[in-house]
Amino acid sequence: MKRTLYIFQNGELRRKDHSLYFETEGRKKYIPVENTSDIYIFGEVDVSKRFLEFASQKQIIVHYFNHYGYYVGSFYPREHLNAGHVILKQAEHYLDGRKRLNLARRFIEGSIQQMGRVLKYYRSRLEAKDVFDNVLHDFEKESLLLSDAQSVEQLMALEGHVREKYYSTFDTIIRHPDFVFEKRTKRPPHNRLNALISFGNSIVYTMCLSEIYKTYLDPRIGFLHSTNFRRFSLHLDVAEIFKPIIVDRLIFSLINKKMLVKKHFDKLTDGILLSEEGRKIFVSELEKKMQTTVQHRHLGKSVSYRRLIRLELYKIQKHLLGEKEYEPYAAKW
Amino acid sequence: MPVTGTDIWYYYICHREVWLMKHQIAPDQEDESLDLGRFISEIYYRRNKKELSFGNIVIDRVRQEDGQLVVGEVKKSSRYMKSATMQLLYYLDYLRRMGIEARGELLFPEERKKEVVEWTEEARVELERAVKEIQRILRMPVPPKPKKIQFCAKCAYREYCWAEE
Repeated sequence: MKRTLYIFQNGELRRKDHSLYFETEGRKKYIPVENTSDIYIFGEVDVSKRFLEFASQKQIIVHYFNHYGYYVGSFYPREHLNAGHVILKQAEHYLDGRKRLNLARRFIEGSIQQMGRVLKYYRSRLEAKDVFDNVLHDFEKESLLLSDAQSVEQLMALEGHVREKYYSTFDTIIRHPDFVFEKRTKRPPHNRLNALISFGNSIVYTMCLSEIYKTYLDPRIGFLHSTNFRRFSLHLDVAEIFKPIIVDRLIFSLINKKMLVKKHFDKLTDGILLSEEGRKIFVSELEKKMQTTVQHRHLGKSVSYRRLIRLELYKIQKHLLGEKEYEPYAAKW
Repeated sequence: MPVTGTDIWYYYICHREVWLMKHQIAPDQEDESLDLGRFISEIYYRRNKKELSFGNIVIDRVRQEDGQLVVGEVKKSSRYMKSATMQLLYYLDYLRRMGIEARGELLFPEERKKEVVEWTEEARVELERAVKEIQRILRMPVPPKPKKIQFCAKCAYREYCWAEE
């Protein structure tokens, strides 16, 4: 499987004949073009038009993050996979209110299911069982309301409700004075835990975007997150399924194993963010996680987390084509 | 929609594949066996590579032998003989309808093997039926359901077809 390249240093990305290299302070590092699917840029990196042309030709997506680790945007090469039939079907499912609501509901169902999976794991390991039981009980109640929702907005509100309860268990799970949850804050996050959640989620969004690029789906047409034909939204829908089991679990393990501590965060005037060192640790552990494999019952083989995202997109495409009703991925452990 | 030689090939392996291909839904481009196929067609017979494209068919290789046209079709392996044979017969039949009598050769460079294929009346009848069937499949609004067959193991669509749960 193709690899992801993360660049933290400052330098220049250039094309040389039929290959790419990253140049920093007189040192050149060649990039295996055929084997790279996307590049994440965290450092101050100059790129040339020749580089972008070549990246486009080789179908490499470039994701940019600013000095503070905020997602800036992606260089999404011109579409290379195109099937009019699929795009029409995708648009049809967006325009038909009932179809759109149905798909949006699936994403929320998947999201709640995965959050529940995380909680069940900790319920079995920690003493405060009643904390988890209460929240899981609420999850069940909220899930029953999903089928009554008449609009995507109502679904979003339900999801927000569930997520709030989900986050309320984080202090019980983490039990570390340096990482208290308080409440969810973004742009900028107000504490370390929020900084981790924001950073992790933004990377998972881009991973979903990278995988969408390899399918026939149009990233501009989301179902839960509205389309406005200017920016991508389908990846946000798909990420709902993966955020809990990928990002949240990773955060818990990084904190519990003390791989990330207080010193890995920078305090800004109005918020707190992961430092460069912290981002490096986070990204390298996330990458390890994305490459770990899980047994896939239906395929009869093990697949990486990264591949699970792709499979999820295939399932969505099959739903759009009218082949098979989409059922969100449900982790079994 | 005109039926191509590759449609015939897919038809004798998997009806679902015919539908997907015809709807421009190509298989996973990162799949290794696709790379291998591309590599084989680029590397072998470079010296007398004469790809010929006319109407809606593309022929891998043509040459003259004893005043007769010989049409060659290059394949990775001889495992799917029926498909390969029918594809080649489709070309022969196509040419015949244009007034050209040709002989066919299936080429398996990896196995250093060659099979001769000749047009017959039975083949024509069989192909006519297959073309009708392909056109029926293509009119289906939804692709045919996946079926687990031997071909799935190495098919670049396998993850797409079996992505479930």
